[in-house]
Amino acid sequence: MQDVYVLGIGQTIFGKHGSLTVNDLGAAAALTATKDAGLSPKDLQTAYCGSVYSPPTPVQSILIRLGINRIPMFTIENACASGSSAVHMLHRDIKLGVCDVGIALGVESLSAYNKKFGKGLIGIEGDLDAKLGLTMPAFFSMLCNRLMQERGATIKDICYPSVKNHKAGMTNPYSQYKKEVNVAEIMASPMIADPITVLQCCPQSDGAAAVILCSKEYYKKHNKKGNRVPVKIAGSVISVSGAQDSSYDPLALKSMIDGAKAAYEMAGIGPEDLNLVELHDAFSGEELAAYEMLGLCKPGEGVALARSGAVELGGRCPVNPSGGLLSMGHPLGASGVRVVIDIARQLWGEAGANQVKGAKVGMAQMLGGVLTNIESAVVAGIQILVK
Amino acid sequence: MSNQVVFYPGALDEKDGKLIQMGSKCNSCGKTTFPAAELCMFCSSDGGEKVPLSTIGTVFSFCVTRVPVGPYKPPFISAYIDLPEGTRVFGQIHANMNELKTGMKVKVETGVIWTEKDGTEVLGYYYVPCEPECGGGK
Repeated sequence: MQDVYVLGIGQTIFGKHGSLTVNDLGAAAALTATKDAGLSPKDLQTAYCGSVYSPPTPVQSILIRLGINRIPMFTIENACASGSSAVHMLHRDIKLGVCDVGIALGVESLSAYNKKFGKGLIGIEGDLDAKLGLTMPAFFSMLCNRLMQERGATIKDICYPSVKNHKAGMTNPYSQYKKEVNVAEIMASPMIADPITVLQCCPQSDGAAAVILCSKEYYKKHNKKGNRVPVKIAGSVISVSGAQDSSYDPLALKSMIDGAKAAYEMAGIGPEDLNLVELHDAFSGEELAAYEMLGLCKPGEGVALARSGAVELGGRCPVNPSGGLLSMGHPLGASGVRVVIDIARQLWGEAGANQVKGAKVGMAQMLGGVLTNIESAVVAGIQILVK
Repeated sequence: MSNQVVFYPGALDEKDGKLIQMGSKCNSCGKTTFPAAELCMFCSSDGGEKVPLSTIGTVFSFCVTRVPVGPYKPPFISAYIDLPEGTRVFGQIHANMNELKTGMKVKVETGVIWTEKDGTEVLGYYYVPCEPECGGGK
């Protein structure tokens, strides 16, 4: 088994890029990552691309613009964990010795999607529950109601991740939003699905992110950035949910809990070793519910953890110091790669005003898919990076 | 007479002129899933039996959507409903919003849930609060 190292990263600014295509966005991120790694595009041996709503074969149409061809390439759709899945597959290839170096991309243009299908909430095409009105906000509204009922969360607690993450986004050069919000402003914004208002939801975004991973030997030979300490992907897990019955509680999603445990075990660490987490905060309440499922606190103590300040910059384990999806934006397929490169930036000490001081270990998490018959959300992607 | 279709193939069967929700009960693990699938969604066993679902369930958690979704005009209520056989079903609840409570009992009804532009009526299910004597409503 080979250790897998991060050789280079790149991304576009996330936001509304209606004039740019998926290929424009993807090529920009891939080119930046290749340059950051100090490689020729021709050095890459394999490529994976996470995307949800792109036209078919985005990875080939993006990478040919950099002269990358005649290597194995795969596009992966796995809901909001599509990018995590691209990173996971590349990590696995290198770990198993299938290749020495490759690129994992994530890309999405929700402007293009909206032009094609119209604006509004996204339900899964053809799904039984979706036909009856199940959308992402509807699912997370039911989760928020559970948080209030079972965990004693107040509206202020539900809004907390949004307040915290909007603040962090102010100083992130790649974020879609650069505006602080308070609880009163959040609750005064239009209601989507009680108690979720617009300012508790991530925006629909366009953007791309890319990471170049390689084996230890390759890293030793080709890493040109002496100032960067080696950062390796110590754990990577894609965890899928089981069939749903009435015993399931969205506050205890087994795929997320088991996925995190497996990733900790693979990395040889525990949640107490984490210095930061970048996670899927598509909705403010979702982040509040995730703390306990990822083991950042004991079951049932997520609200207390939030109130203690432990998950903000300067706290014991900052969560979403980038600004998260709530502030960064959420180009679906790109976000799973973006959280990985944000952790790499932090471990390299290159996160500027959003730097978590002395960060050595970080987790990147994504969660996606709301479907009939499966414990939603249906897939969790988790990577642990260590320096 | 306008054209009518069921919103999701296999979800509802017609019996004695009435539409009923049909699930599949596994002969091996005993779980009932809705709608019926090729094999048991829990244990992959073959030989499930098509069964009507219980008509009364309990609200696990609910949601009031305030924006339009597909054919549905806001506000509308939807919920996960837990049935006595252990099945969790998603559906809308036609009720006064102030009456809604987690844990309340609801019963299923069937009928037109939306009408297509060409006049086709789409048939489906939804829930309504039970009378107070059933433990719900008030």
